[in-house]
Amino acid sequence: MKFSATKEKLLEGLQQVQNVVSTRTTLPILSNVLLQAKGSEVHLTTTDLDVGVRGAFEASVEKEGATTLPARRLFTIIRELPSSEVSIEVDGKNAASIRSGQSFFKILGLPEEEFPPLPKFENAKNVTIPQKALRDGLRKTSYAISTDETRYVLNGLLFSFKENKLTLVATDGRRLAMVDIELEFPKSHEADIIVPTKAVTELGRLLTEDGEVKVSVGSGQIAFELNNTLLVSKLIEGNYPNYKQVIPTETKERVTLERETFLNSLRRVSLLASDKSNSIKLNFSKNNIDITANTPEVGEAKESLPVAYKGRDFSIAFNPEFFMAPLRALTEDEVFLDLIDEMSPGVLKIQTPFLYVLMPMRISS
Amino acid sequence: MDETHSQLWQKLSAALKPQVSPDTFKRWFSAVKLVQATDEAFTFRVPNNIYQFWIESNHMAALQAAIVTAFGSPRDVKFTTADGTVTNEEEELPEISPKEFVRESAREGKQSGSTPGLNPRNNFESFVVGPNNEIAHAASLAVAKTPARTYNPLFIYGGVGLGKTHLMQAIGQYVGMNKKGAKVMYLSSEVFINEFIDAIQHNNLVKFRKRYRQADLLLIDDIQFLGGKERSQEEFFHTFNTLFDGHKQIVLSSDRPPSEIANLEHRLVSRFEWGLTAELQPPDVETRMAILRKKAHTLQIKLRDEIFDFLATRIRTNVRRLEGALMRVASFASLSAGKELTNEVVEHLLKDILQEEARHSVTIEQIQRRVAEHFDVRLADMTSKRRPANIAFPRQIAMYLARELTKASLNEIGDAFGGRDHGTVLHACKLVKRRMQEQDNIRQTISFIDSALQR
Repeated sequence: MKFSATKEKLLEGLQQVQNVVSTRTTLPILSNVLLQAKGSEVHLTTTDLDVGVRGAFEASVEKEGATTLPARRLFTIIRELPSSEVSIEVDGKNAASIRSGQSFFKILGLPEEEFPPLPKFENAKNVTIPQKALRDGLRKTSYAISTDETRYVLNGLLFSFKENKLTLVATDGRRLAMVDIELEFPKSHEADIIVPTKAVTELGRLLTEDGEVKVSVGSGQIAFELNNTLLVSKLIEGNYPNYKQVIPTETKERVTLERETFLNSLRRVSLLASDKSNSIKLNFSKNNIDITANTPEVGEAKESLPVAYKGRDFSIAFNPEFFMAPLRALTEDEVFLDLIDEMSPGVLKIQTPFLYVLMPMRISS
Repeated sequence: MDETHSQLWQKLSAALKPQVSPDTFKRWFSAVKLVQATDEAFTFRVPNNIYQFWIESNHMAALQAAIVTAFGSPRDVKFTTADGTVTNEEEELPEISPKEFVRESAREGKQSGSTPGLNPRNNFESFVVGPNNEIAHAASLAVAKTPARTYNPLFIYGGVGLGKTHLMQAIGQYVGMNKKGAKVMYLSSEVFINEFIDAIQHNNLVKFRKRYRQADLLLIDDIQFLGGKERSQEEFFHTFNTLFDGHKQIVLSSDRPPSEIANLEHRLVSRFEWGLTAELQPPDVETRMAILRKKAHTLQIKLRDEIFDFLATRIRTNVRRLEGALMRVASFASLSAGKELTNEVVEHLLKDILQEEARHSVTIEQIQRRVAEHFDVRLADMTSKRRPANIAFPRQIAMYLARELTKASLNEIGDAFGGRDHGTVLHACKLVKRRMQEQDNIRQTISFIDSALQR
């Protein structure tokens, strides 16, 4: 195999696929990237057996062929190369010679045959989603995915295809984020699937503002095709809990908040939330919220925010980090906070179909 | 039965209602049923897992408080969903519900009997029993036959190469083979520590805990390396308690008794000593013969009896070394076919091993005799109070050699040299060392005596 390409193209290609390569792996081949030179492109594939990515970059291919090379090493070498033209030649023993300007590197690879192939999709159900919508959806929900490995069904994002709607749901048992995306698809494509965190992170990285992503759901696996890149992942087996149970049906008080102002206040006050209780208190009174935090033996913080609020006076406490996460992920100027009482969950909403349920913390009086 | 459960639940609900908002109660607790109640634990049935997740995450404190209010003391809280899987609150106790157990064993079934890290050669059949290891062997066998019934924990200790690992692996294999589905874990304490550090680093302590606390039989080799690792000790302490309370067998090995492991917390020491502590001692000559013959038989090595005799009498301290010597002799014999294996050839072949052996078997008396002989003084002068230079210096050399070649303490050496003070011995050692550096002929003399002693 022999090809040459610009350093930028090569780096871009590697960057797309290299995050999947796990640093601690039992199979040496999994730390390698598969390079396949064909036509005017070189295809790159990486996998950790759960998630796999295939991308490509333009190159002038002199001799077609394939090999696998250590991904991280290749990436660091290419990044440091002095000249913008890079040529890579691989001999019959999978040793790659990398030439660029005055530099020469030789790195040893493994044969192509050892690389596990990405799964084939047969009888898959295909749905096309605008990239922008999916990207927004992931950003608004993925931070709430649970990291508690004992609840493995929660270690991923729920993609619920139902009634011409894709609902994305993430929860860790203390909070829940949900987004609806309007979508056209046949009734037979309705399904609930759980996409593992790693694939969600990778997908979030690959999605752009424009174009569409083709989603194929096979048995136990999912593929996303976008911008000449393919992301394949195993699905988490099991049933996602009935998240609707969590969402309060009727709320009593609504307050409209300026997202950024409120986020900044929260961030400031949370500096004095103790590590132990880690809570901040919101004290509602007519047209005003007092945000307070205190840590015994350290000190306290308080900030007042004028808001449009006409309900009864009451206090409610939240984990500041859990409150700030959705505020950071959203881009809207205004958010609505719906509350029932100090012991019931709060609900954060915006104008578009998004919902964030947040459990209050107990106020020790 | 159901009657009492619903009464208990009513009592509990009454205590719970003021703790949570009415909406919460209606939403999360109205569909909950109490299905099992013991003095230790309550099991609640919930319609599906979201109830469990949400109650565990958000209303556990309220529920526990209500339990204390209603019944006076805390209980473990477990949940079961309609599909029947039981999971415990927070820390997974090793109690496994029947259903989970079946699943676990179905999964493990493929690899039962071959727990990673167990060498199939280390089984009870290949272990040679002698008076030196009778107790440890009997205890191990008892533990393997009825885990967690007889001696828990079993603590095996002894020097290097005496069979600690062999016994532990034999237990592991026996249990793995005869108790289908039992989860056997064998590892060295170093692996435990490393995995613990790894878990801290990658923030998945829960997984780490789950892994160890689900074992039915936990075998930890070389536990002495836990000494000085405080957080690992604490983690191990909890693992130990969980397993012990769940009636799971724990077997530990070390190169010294628990009380002598440096920097080991007292609570761990006392727990290690809780069950049975069995010592492995170096085998006597008959046992060594038996070991050699057994080993030779399994490896199909044929040697003359004299050679076995020679090896058994000359290599005393360590079974591993004994086997190594046997292997060396056997491979030499097979490589130089026809050449006769005399004791001299074997001696030459095992020179280094024998020298190492001799190092441990030199006695102070031998040293005194040898030194006296060399300097042509009487043996009695070694212990006498007389101290002209021609006697005092050889005596000091003898003390120095005794210090270097035996494990005797300064006091013991002093006693052996006619009841001298330990300071005298120390002084002698320093003096001889200095003069060895200064004078070549003295160094040569001493190294000559040294090598003569070790032959």
